[in-house]
Amino acid sequence: MSAMSKFTREELIVDGVKTVVHSAGTGEPLVLFHGAGTLDGFDFAETWARRFRVIVPYHPGFGESGDDPSFTDIHDYVMHYLELFDILKIDTLRLMGLSMGGYLAARFASEHGHRVEKLVLIAPYGLDVPEYPALDIIATPGEQVVPMLVSNFDALKPRLPEKPDIDFIAARYREATTFARLFWEHPIDPKFPRYLHRVKMPALIVWGDEDKIIPVEHAQAWRKWIPNAEVMIVKGAGHIVHRDKPEVADAIRKFLA
Amino acid sequence: MSTGFRFNAMHFMPYVYLPENHKEYKTTWVDFPNKFYDPVKGHELYQSYFEQLVLADRLGFDAIVLNEHHNTVYGMMATPNVVAAALIPQVQRARICVWGVPPNFMLPNRLAEEYAILDVMSKGRLEIAFPLGTGMEYWSNPVNPATAREKFRESLKIMLQAWTADGPTKHFGKFYTYRFLNPWPRPYQKPHPPCYIVGAGSPETIEFAAELGFGYSSVFVPQQVALQLNQKLRERAAHYGHTLRPDQLPLLNFVYVAESDEQAEREYIIHLQHFFEDFARSSPQWLAPPGYLSTEQLKIRAAGADKMHGGFDFKAISSAFFIAVGTPEKVANQIGEWTARMSTNHINSVIHVADMPHWKAVKNMTLFAEEVIPRLRRG
Repeated sequence: MSAMSKFTREELIVDGVKTVVHSAGTGEPLVLFHGAGTLDGFDFAETWARRFRVIVPYHPGFGESGDDPSFTDIHDYVMHYLELFDILKIDTLRLMGLSMGGYLAARFASEHGHRVEKLVLIAPYGLDVPEYPALDIIATPGEQVVPMLVSNFDALKPRLPEKPDIDFIAARYREATTFARLFWEHPIDPKFPRYLHRVKMPALIVWGDEDKIIPVEHAQAWRKWIPNAEVMIVKGAGHIVHRDKPEVADAIRKFLA
Repeated sequence: MSTGFRFNAMHFMPYVYLPENHKEYKTTWVDFPNKFYDPVKGHELYQSYFEQLVLADRLGFDAIVLNEHHNTVYGMMATPNVVAAALIPQVQRARICVWGVPPNFMLPNRLAEEYAILDVMSKGRLEIAFPLGTGMEYWSNPVNPATAREKFRESLKIMLQAWTADGPTKHFGKFYTYRFLNPWPRPYQKPHPPCYIVGAGSPETIEFAAELGFGYSSVFVPQQVALQLNQKLRERAAHYGHTLRPDQLPLLNFVYVAESDEQAEREYIIHLQHFFEDFARSSPQWLAPPGYLSTEQLKIRAAGADKMHGGFDFKAISSAFFIAVGTPEKVANQIGEWTARMSTNHINSVIHVADMPHWKAVKNMTLFAEEVIPRLRRG
């Protein structure tokens, strides 16, 4: 992937699962958990490589990593990352997650808070806010979800095939399959917020005010459970905040410093 | 079972009163609004459909066949065992085939019990097929399509254990725990009613049928594919030490018989077209919920679906699938040819489609029973 040119690709076996990790830069580790679709790429993370050792792993069942059908719960991913961090010799880290990756990051931080120095959640998935329901992405056809990911569709278009592409569709289907294993029956874990108060490190919640996947009102719901968290609302941005407003990367870097 | 032909009358029991504007809906499955269902009309339809299946028995069909679908006009048998129970006292001779309930949508012990009840009530006339369930059923039931195949295997293991091992037994699995698996009653037929698996030809399902030595019926796959699937199943069954009999490979087909080929086409094609265009109108999303197919299968089916695009073309569709429409002689010849090619003697004929009126269904079955079946039996 040319957009990842500054990144070094590494293929690891983590507890039997092929795990592809892209990393760039030196310094304290900054780990980025991607969301439920990897079509967007990670080039925006390059900007942090000047200051941090940026590590972007593909979750099992997504992107370049292998499948493990036995992963049926978000907690399987928490365990996966404990293993991966051992292999990468990461003790403490800054942790950032987008959407489903935000849910995973918050999980990790609530269970292993002493290892997470700072936490950034970008439009995280995982809370039930009945007045402002998240889009049911399982039930929404993929071709409808994709344009909803951003406020300005032109920002995302270069990432998409020009014509219907069976390999692209199959790649999304595979990621949807992984997502379904985790969330088909129980999209929300009602016990999740109960443990969120254990997130005591500095935390930043970033949300686009034009998010069509998880409404921006969720930001306040998260803040209710993580009272220390700062909330940054980005005007004119959709769900993939940084794709609509790349300048958000600078604001995040300041928080992480 | 004799080595002679066996003839089934299969019915979908569609809800035929589609609203005028139904074409505005992309599909007639899953989210097609149920406000369009009128129970008064539904009652009338059940009356005539039951009458048709009872007639099939009297006319000499060897079996009647029911199946299960949800959230759709395609069929009014969301729980086919209820329909089978209503038919048993009226259908006095023919076998009753529930082909079938997707086990994933039932507790396995309960499904084993229901089938055993039907088998005992009918004095051993029940036959069962196990479908994984179409993609549409997974959108309509609270069951994860991504783990469906695994769950399906476990469900069947439990049911077979329930029928064949003296209870109480135990089962500690991934999806189910039974401390006392001990269902009453037990099936009338020993060790259990004849079992088939039905499917659209996923390699995983073929392998599973082969492993169990079950029959297999492919549905809605082109003739060439059906032939390959039958051959594959025979090979794989042999690998597991099973020799499949011809009757274990039911051949799903659509038939309509009339006085002349021209009249048959005139009377039938409108309903067949309505069936394919409207009653079977699904969508790629409904057909393949996440995890229902492997990504390899998804690619194969997406490529196949591209070829199906375009309007309804009777000639094309009747040569691609098993569809025989015409005089008794033509239909009999057609079926004779299929059965020879497919090495089966088990003819599973859909005798009513879409909004076909009662009189046509009666005519079709009567001519089939009186003119087609004897021709084939004579050879």
